[in-house]
Amino acid sequence: MKLELDDLTKEFGDFTAVDHMKLTMTNGVHGLLGVNGAGKTTLMRMLCTLLKPTSGSIRCDGKDIFEMDSEYRKLLGYLPQEFGFYPEFTVEDYLLYIAALKGIRPVVAKKRVKEMIAKVGLSKATHKKMKKLSGGMRRRAGIAQAMLNNPKILILDEPTAGLDPNERIRFRNLISELAEDRLVLLSTHIVSDIEYIANEIWLMKDGILVRKGTVDEIIHSMPENIWECLVEKNMVSECMKRYKISNMKSEKDGVVLRIISKQRPFSNARSVEASLEDVFLYYFGEKAGDEDVAF
Amino acid sequence: MMRMLRFEIKKVFSKSKNRVAIMVLSVILVAISIMTINRVEYVDENGNSSVGISATNNLRKTKNEWAGYLTEDTLRKVLEENRTINNSKEALSDDITEQNKAYAKKQGITSIVDVISQAFSGYRDYNYYAINNVSDDEVGTIYERRISTLKEWLDSGEETFTEKEKAFLIHQYEDLETPFYYEYMDGWSALLQNISTFILILALVIGFFVSGIFSDEFQTKSDSIFFSTSLGRTRGILSKIGAGFCITTAFYVIFVLLYTFIVLLVLGTDGANCPIQLDLWRSVYNITCLQAYLFILLGGYIGTIFASTCAMLVSAFTRSTPTAIIVPFIILCAFPFLSRIITLPGLCSFFPDQLLEIYIDIKEPALVTLGGKVISIAAFIVPVYAVICLILQPILYKVYKKTEIK
Repeated sequence: MKLELDDLTKEFGDFTAVDHMKLTMTNGVHGLLGVNGAGKTTLMRMLCTLLKPTSGSIRCDGKDIFEMDSEYRKLLGYLPQEFGFYPEFTVEDYLLYIAALKGIRPVVAKKRVKEMIAKVGLSKATHKKMKKLSGGMRRRAGIAQAMLNNPKILILDEPTAGLDPNERIRFRNLISELAEDRLVLLSTHIVSDIEYIANEIWLMKDGILVRKGTVDEIIHSMPENIWECLVEKNMVSECMKRYKISNMKSEKDGVVLRIISKQRPFSNARSVEASLEDVFLYYFGEKAGDEDVAF
Repeated sequence: MMRMLRFEIKKVFSKSKNRVAIMVLSVILVAISIMTINRVEYVDENGNSSVGISATNNLRKTKNEWAGYLTEDTLRKVLEENRTINNSKEALSDDITEQNKAYAKKQGITSIVDVISQAFSGYRDYNYYAINNVSDDEVGTIYERRISTLKEWLDSGEETFTEKEKAFLIHQYEDLETPFYYEYMDGWSALLQNISTFILILALVIGFFVSGIFSDEFQTKSDSIFFSTSLGRTRGILSKIGAGFCITTAFYVIFVLLYTFIVLLVLGTDGANCPIQLDLWRSVYNITCLQAYLFILLGGYIGTIFASTCAMLVSAFTRSTPTAIIVPFIILCAFPFLSRIITLPGLCSFFPDQLLEIYIDIKEPALVTLGGKVISIAAFIVPVYAVICLILQPILYKVYKKTEIK
């Protein structure tokens, strides 16, 4: 399975949400990382044929996905950022309805729904109404609906938003498990979600793909170093103006700062290994009171 | 497809507000049925009036003593009976109870008395006492008088019909089969008078049901998943259109039949084959009560389907259920109001609310000339709106198919 984005652009009036994006995806987990408003959801909606591009194309194994129409959507599983559902439907009814929309035959659908309910750990909630489920359970129902047709392309938009840490870890593991033999595109602004499971990470900002590669490649792409140092509390605001601070931790005798800087910021600063979160901050973060960002 | 249709219908009726609407509709059904039944009243020999099953049975028995063709001979007998009752001490008394006793004797012939009075009144001026001045020799001419009073009125210049339309009216009057067959028909009469109101309420409630079929995907934010499925943009939409049609048809048929059943169960089905002119003297439709009922039902159904389709179209277009809900109100309630404040009487006759006013058209027809042929506006708008409904379905499909999630 190969998805190719060729010069893909989406404009809403004067605003360009996705700007001449070019890339190729094959099987594996692709993590799309960017701040809110970076254009991730617009890109995903185009990949799900929910939005037509202003220009450029998306090809699946060489064929335009909008020309493929329902043939393409047969290959697709999608969990949107705002996962809507029919509140009065039970989990089973909801999944059976989506199975019908996905063209799965009734006998197969019943079996598949049962399987997916078990897989996402909702067996006890099969006959519960969707509106009675917790946020985590709804998300699991969401991933179940996306997986019903055993999609070759799985698109997950902010799948862990609003989940507690336990649910998030569980969800991450589930995605990892599902990712075999398929193309998974996982969009998030929560770095840890993709740090562990993504084969390839794309950093997206203002509709542009600013960097792509494996976790290591992305980390090593950062031309600056990470420093940790203890500073007095009254120096913190000054430091925030001068440097990008990826972490702050208050201690008895001051504040431990994690600073992104080419040069050693203070004589007592020690060099530490960069993490994906540092990279995220480097590319997307701002210095306090700073309007300019890395790009 | 059937599975999707089932789920679409389930979506509509799983909403508590729609369940409440069904309950409200059921209460309205009972209330209007009682109101309709109470229209038929029987006055016993003591002057006491009553309604309900036994009252209906008594009235039926009394009226059916005069059942048969209204020939000259029968009409004379009616005239004689009317005179006798009018000259009775009960009728001449100033006491209301005594007068009621006189009316009790007259109940069997009141409908025939009305027909005679209509025939001997001016075309548009009903004179309740006209029968009192009719002689035995004249009374047999009621059918001829029906035609001659029409001609007089047409010649008076009080109306705005074209020559072709005048000829059409005269032809329809002359074409009416006489003598009329008469029997107790108060059940049909009451049903025909009230059914339009019930259909209007029914159409508004049905519009309420279907108004969310398309927009609820957006309201519940289920749109992204719906449109990203392989059949969402094809059979998914067809199942929504199908659900709208099924809900409209099923509710219309069930509730109209329930209303008819309740009313006719109490008031009786007698008189189905009586000419509508026994009740609506000036009617240009040469049809029976049963045929008039079916015509009203057909118009109401097309009107309801049209209002529902427009509600669904607005629902798909605006993605807003509240906006869609008001569409049937605009179509069925605001248009009649509009027709009163704007001076386009000809145009207003073609508004879709007229589909629910077929009874009025049967009573007083408005005519239209098409390709040299004169027909009543009701007979014109029913098929026209049926075709419009058919045309709107693919438009609805395309509007929803082209949806983009921004």
